[in-house]
Amino acid sequence: MEIKKSVEGNATVLALSGRLDTITSPQLSKELETLLEKEAINLIFDLSSLDYISSSGLRVFLSAQKKINAMGTQMKIRGVNETVKEIFEVTGFTGILNIE
Amino acid sequence: MRKTFLVWLFTFLIIAFICALVVSFWALTAQASQNAQTLIRLKIADVEKQLRINQDNLYEIRKELDESGIAKAKALAKMIQLNPSLIGNSEEIEKIRELLLVDEVHIVDRGGILIFGSVPSYFNYDMASDPQSAAFMEAIRDPDFVLAQNPLPKGINKEIFQYVGVARLDEPGIVQIGYRPEKLAKALEIADIKNLAPGFRIGSSGSVLILDNQGVIVSSTEENTLGLALTDVIDSGTAETAKEKMAKETEGSFIAAVNEEKRLFGFKKSGDYYIVGQLPSHEMYLSRDSGTTVLVIFNILLFGVIFFVIAKLVQSIVINGIYRVNNSLEKITRGNLNEVVSVRTNKEFASLSAGINTTVNALKEAINEAASRIDTELSFAKAIQHSSLPSKFPAFPERKDFDIYARMYTAKEVGGDFYDFFLVDENHLAVVIADVSGKGIPASLFMMISKSILKTYALSGLPVEETLYKSNIALCENNQEDMFVTAFMGILNTRTGVMRYVNAGHNPPLIRKANGSYEWLPVKQGFVLAGLPNIRYTEQEIVFEQGDTLFLYTDGVTEAMNRVEQLYSPKRLIRVLNQFPGSLGLEGTIVGIKEDVDHFSEGAEQADDITMLMLRYDRSADFSHKEKQGNPSKEVFE
Repeated sequence: MEIKKSVEGNATVLALSGRLDTITSPQLSKELETLLEKEAINLIFDLSSLDYISSSGLRVFLSAQKKINAMGTQMKIRGVNETVKEIFEVTGFTGILNIE
Repeated sequence: MRKTFLVWLFTFLIIAFICALVVSFWALTAQASQNAQTLIRLKIADVEKQLRINQDNLYEIRKELDESGIAKAKALAKMIQLNPSLIGNSEEIEKIRELLLVDEVHIVDRGGILIFGSVPSYFNYDMASDPQSAAFMEAIRDPDFVLAQNPLPKGINKEIFQYVGVARLDEPGIVQIGYRPEKLAKALEIADIKNLAPGFRIGSSGSVLILDNQGVIVSSTEENTLGLALTDVIDSGTAETAKEKMAKETEGSFIAAVNEEKRLFGFKKSGDYYIVGQLPSHEMYLSRDSGTTVLVIFNILLFGVIFFVIAKLVQSIVINGIYRVNNSLEKITRGNLNEVVSVRTNKEFASLSAGINTTVNALKEAINEAASRIDTELSFAKAIQHSSLPSKFPAFPERKDFDIYARMYTAKEVGGDFYDFFLVDENHLAVVIADVSGKGIPASLFMMISKSILKTYALSGLPVEETLYKSNIALCENNQEDMFVTAFMGILNTRTGVMRYVNAGHNPPLIRKANGSYEWLPVKQGFVLAGLPNIRYTEQEIVFEQGDTLFLYTDGVTEAMNRVEQLYSPKRLIRVLNQFPGSLGLEGTIVGIKEDVDHFSEGAEQADDITMLMLRYDRSADFSHKEKQGNPSKEVFE
């Protein structure tokens, strides 16, 4: 998995590509930890190039959402493909995440 | 490392090369300068010797000439004494002149007046009127007076001419003879200092100069410099040092430039002269330059050979060994602990190899020990996980109104799948299938907690939605790790066939109506458990008819992957289920699906737990059972 970081307005954009699974989740988890530790920021996840997400990946999004809620900032997810969308739907994550 | 070493070696050799060259060049320069000085010094000695020989010769000839001249003059004086009548007899005087082999004969009286001789035009000449002739006047007073004058150039031809005079014997006066001293003239010419320098050469382009004591060039190969001072010939920049040096020392050398060409000068004071030798620097350093060229070529070859030999040696003795050790270390780092380092080209490498091997072996032992301990613990964990699931089938042998079968195939690593079923009361059967996010011991511990919380709330008689709502709140507490559980829970009223269920983020189950095919159970996808507190779920219901079958599974089935990373998929699951004959039975179906998953994965390792649960409702049996009991339970759920 590859994580590309950029800035868009007042939000930090993380574009993920490849597979977000047990092996790669810690990488994103670590990245988010350093990002959110420093300051309260708005987050945007661009999943246009993300092929697959496992429960470990969902966990990272859940953690991020919890932290964002605690900080009172915004988190958005966009560019979700069918496979990933289905996983979000099945697990009910569509109800708690802001998916465009 | 090899490159760094070669760069250092190269730098070092270049420095050594330059040093060797500088020292050699300096030595050769000193040698060439020494040789040139010696060459000049020897040549000066030759010139000096020649100069002395010439002067000695001249002196001898002059002495002889003077003596013979004096003898002739004395003879004439005697003749006049014996025969005074000769004075006035031109004929006799001419004869005597010829006999004496002289050119002129003059007789002077006591008054210093030339009265007679072989040259009538000189008659009556006053000897005192000219310093040259006045020198003979002494003879008038002194009868023993003799004078052989220095030969001097005379007449238009400037021929060398010598006068010799003695006192007259008959009366006071002078007898003088004059002649051309041909032998002397020849010797003088030979001895002429002007002719000396051109006879000598130093090397092929060096030459000799002779200066008088005023520093004026009196003899030189280059005629245009005659009469000039040496300091005028030398370029102004270097003239002063030359002048000083020659003023202070009687013999020495200096470097000066002539027409911007550097030359080595050597000089020696010899009598009234300075003998100077000069050699152009290009000739002086000819031997040095050719020597240096040879040396440069030789040194380049020598240092080149040294460089390659050392590089080769280091390569074979050190670098190759290091590469081999590194290769082995790389393999070890990548996890091949069976790699043995065996570089034994020298003692140091052998000891290094042995050291590494010992370390790796110790590491291997430690890892194996740890691995076996972890394996033991993991298999304990797995066993505990398994034992917490109801695994005795038939589970309710006395109940004929339903049949249930479930199975969990764990992956190599402990996972977080679980299933559960239990009777809430006589008429209510609860079924649960769930999947905890993540793997390993934390997931399996969370699974145990989830399972017992769900069961506890369900057994307290709460409806399904309430059970999940409360379980979620309980699970959210102390969930620092942000783990979550996807779960499906249904409670079947075995009497009426009504099942109320909730899906909390789990894969939608399948249902097959009797004699129909498998279809998706309509579900409202709720959020997972343990994610966020205070989530409300949607409770749904379905009425089971006799023979209807519920199929629950985890994503271990649908997301099983083959070697080309394709997923088993829900589509394949539903297709395969529908291909099975209706008579296969619950256990047969679950085993059949697992076999098909294995077949699909083509030997790819099972990555996740695979869990399935099946429930078949057999209503007729239920009725008979209940009628026999005659004790319908209170309808809590409907």
